[in-house]
Amino acid sequence: MLGKRPWRMAAIAAAISLLVAGCGSGDSEDPTAAGNTVVIGISEPQHLLPTNATDSSSAQVLNSLFYPLVTFDAEKNPVEVAAEKISVAKGNRVWTIKLKPGFTFHNGEPVTAQNYIDAWNYGAYKPNAQGGGYFFDRIAGYADLNPLDPDGDGPEKAAEPTTNKMSGLKKIDDLTFQVTLSAPFASFKSVIAYSVFFPLPKAAFSSDGVIAKGFEENLIGNGPFKMKGSWVHDDKIVVEKYADFKGVVPKVDGVTWKIYGDQMAAYADLVDNNLDVQTTIPTDALANAPADLGERFQKSENSVFEFIGFPTFLPQYKNPNVRKAISMAINREEIASQIFLGSRTAAKSFVSPVVSGYRENSCGEPCEYNPTKARELYQQNGGPKEIKITYNVDGGHKSWVDATCNQIRASLQVNCIGEQEPKFAVMQDKLQKHQDIGLIRLGWIMDYPLMENYLNPLYGTNGGSNYYGWSSAAFDTLVKEGSKAATPEASIKKWQEAEDILAEEMPVIPLRYGQNVYGYSERVTNVEVDLFSRVNLYELETLA
Amino acid sequence: MSDPTLPATIDTRPRSLSGDAWDDLRHSKIFWVSSGLALLILLMAFFPTLFTSANPADCTLSRQYAGPSGGALFGFDYQGCDVFARTIHGAGNSLWVGLLATLLAGVIGLFFGMAAGYFGGAVDAILSRGIDIVLGIPFLLGAVVFSGRLSGAGDDGVTAVTLTLGLLTWTSAARVMRSSVVAAKGQDYVAAARMLGASPARLMFRHILPNAFAPFIVVMALLLGANIAAEATLSFLGVGLKGDAISWGVQIAEAQKHARVAPAPLIWPSTFLAATVLAFIMLGDAVRDAFDPKLR
Repeated sequence: MLGKRPWRMAAIAAAISLLVAGCGSGDSEDPTAAGNTVVIGISEPQHLLPTNATDSSSAQVLNSLFYPLVTFDAEKNPVEVAAEKISVAKGNRVWTIKLKPGFTFHNGEPVTAQNYIDAWNYGAYKPNAQGGGYFFDRIAGYADLNPLDPDGDGPEKAAEPTTNKMSGLKKIDDLTFQVTLSAPFASFKSVIAYSVFFPLPKAAFSSDGVIAKGFEENLIGNGPFKMKGSWVHDDKIVVEKYADFKGVVPKVDGVTWKIYGDQMAAYADLVDNNLDVQTTIPTDALANAPADLGERFQKSENSVFEFIGFPTFLPQYKNPNVRKAISMAINREEIASQIFLGSRTAAKSFVSPVVSGYRENSCGEPCEYNPTKARELYQQNGGPKEIKITYNVDGGHKSWVDATCNQIRASLQVNCIGEQEPKFAVMQDKLQKHQDIGLIRLGWIMDYPLMENYLNPLYGTNGGSNYYGWSSAAFDTLVKEGSKAATPEASIKKWQEAEDILAEEMPVIPLRYGQNVYGYSERVTNVEVDLFSRVNLYELETLA
Repeated sequence: MSDPTLPATIDTRPRSLSGDAWDDLRHSKIFWVSSGLALLILLMAFFPTLFTSANPADCTLSRQYAGPSGGALFGFDYQGCDVFARTIHGAGNSLWVGLLATLLAGVIGLFFGMAAGYFGGAVDAILSRGIDIVLGIPFLLGAVVFSGRLSGAGDDGVTAVTLTLGLLTWTSAARVMRSSVVAAKGQDYVAAARMLGASPARLMFRHILPNAFAPFIVVMALLLGANIAAEATLSFLGVGLKGDAISWGVQIAEAQKHARVAPAPLIWPSTFLAATVLAFIMLGDAVRDAFDPKLR
């Protein structure tokens, strides 16, 4: 009896370690695709109502159920798809959208201009609290649906909106509607490609402005595929071809969106041919992917931009030279190749190469690795003795944060530690309270392929994702002027000037650009993953 | 003239359980091997610089997976850290947590076991059921829940893991203590002391405890091995030591992701962990065998 238990505990501990180490190869029998259908792996979508869905998994599913107004050609110029013609008048303020005739929703309802107006009004109306609501803020009348809170986060409540209809949306006839913007914006056509701008059928609403119960689980769209059964949470969403679809018809007959909690398990299914496409191979599997998948392991460009933000409200990071010194202490290329095995590339600009207006190395010297100069600059400007990089532990950031800290420690001869927070939301909360959480790891995926999307939300004084309290009147003005400019070329020129201000001030350290690193099974061919990390369902084919 | 029937020298030392046990242990090879190993590991834990002069936090990506060179006997890992230096320095945290947790378990076990055994009756019934309840908590589930709850953001998890392990593993110590106290309580010398008017505290600590202590020490040694393994398990599962803390469990968890590319950073800390656990458990076993009269 004596001593039996410790032995057993040690044995259990050892057995568990073995179990956990081996659990990456979990198998699952369902739902092996049959016939001309494919299985694509995603994470559990946060929402599926288009105006509320802003994560990449829901974007993938919505893309199969809906047909966008415009899409992008190879040069990232918007081209009409569900729209027949989009024209603009009055100096880029009034946009007229004419729809293609003959399209129907999956329940047989014809697609009309009113469907767009209803959906957009629902999305913009503040009490509906839609995640994609801010996309409508360029449309005239948005402010009436979203009254400003008079004292920010203070006790005073914002006034109730007086209306739930944006004044800028006007129906001309069944297939035509007019969008008036509150300020001119030359690139509005690019913005409406996003899934937030999809139409909703009459059947979606139980009464005016109220979404019918259960609609999100049983979406009715205007796209090439319709739902087969409901959304089975944490398991799958099955879609099949919609017979009356009048647009470009995909080559596969159906898609099973298989939902994974663990991307390593999805990868194991991919290797076993139980999963047809995985759009993002997890970093821990990258080393083995070329051997496991061979030709079926592919890369393509995407819009991900990864960076570290400075809490500029803290005195020790107020000096731009300190920020530049820390940036120069980091060897981006080494981390991209050693940690990410080439699945990322070093970033030396503030916008992604996928948007027009991108200039290689617009950041200049502060983004070049130069440990000697970095240390001199750091010491001259009295940088802090200890640097802390805070990251959310659920995002798989430990490896590169550790490596970055090792580089900073070696270059600047100061201590550097990686601090973990359980979730990004916790970091956001601490930032809002201006607590000292050190440097913060951040990432950005564009919503529409415009340079402006990398500037205003991230560094604008009221930018939705400006977490670091940096603000520059000159920057704000340039971004606004760019948005109002008559031609895209003129816009880009202004935005590039704004980007130059960032290079002088370094409110953030650009680190890396992402890439899609995807893999597919032996059953499929013609697999393309687009800028938004979505599988191109119109090209995808199964091998007979 | 001496009596020829008697041996030339007579061992006149008083015989005691521990004296007999020591005689036994001196001739046990397992005892010497395991205590030698345990001593080496303790040395490693408290004086890591005797073994390596390299800084375990000195990592450079350019050396990723590089082979052994100079002082780095085991090569370099994913982050370009010296695997040998990290393994040596990892002993400290692993052993420290194991020792503290075992000490905590020992104190709780000693107190509860002795109270239950000495007072008997209702006190025994309540304490023994308490022990049963704690024994009923599945060890790993309990450890994952407690450790996750106790550790706050930003700390390295040492306190949380120590508390968790201590609070979950004191039961065997308490049971052993209880049964040896029950056995010792009935001895004549205890009755004699009681009749001379010794207080319960004096009886417990001066008379019963010394004679009930040997089996307890054995349980402690075995528990130490198990706790070191448990710390590694928790760290591996991500609820143990965190952040920049160096420990074998953390090292193993990190290295297993890349084991197909570079197995060495996984093999070395695993080997050290296995050897340490084995050393303490073997030591405990040897000491138990020596103390157990039934095995004589």
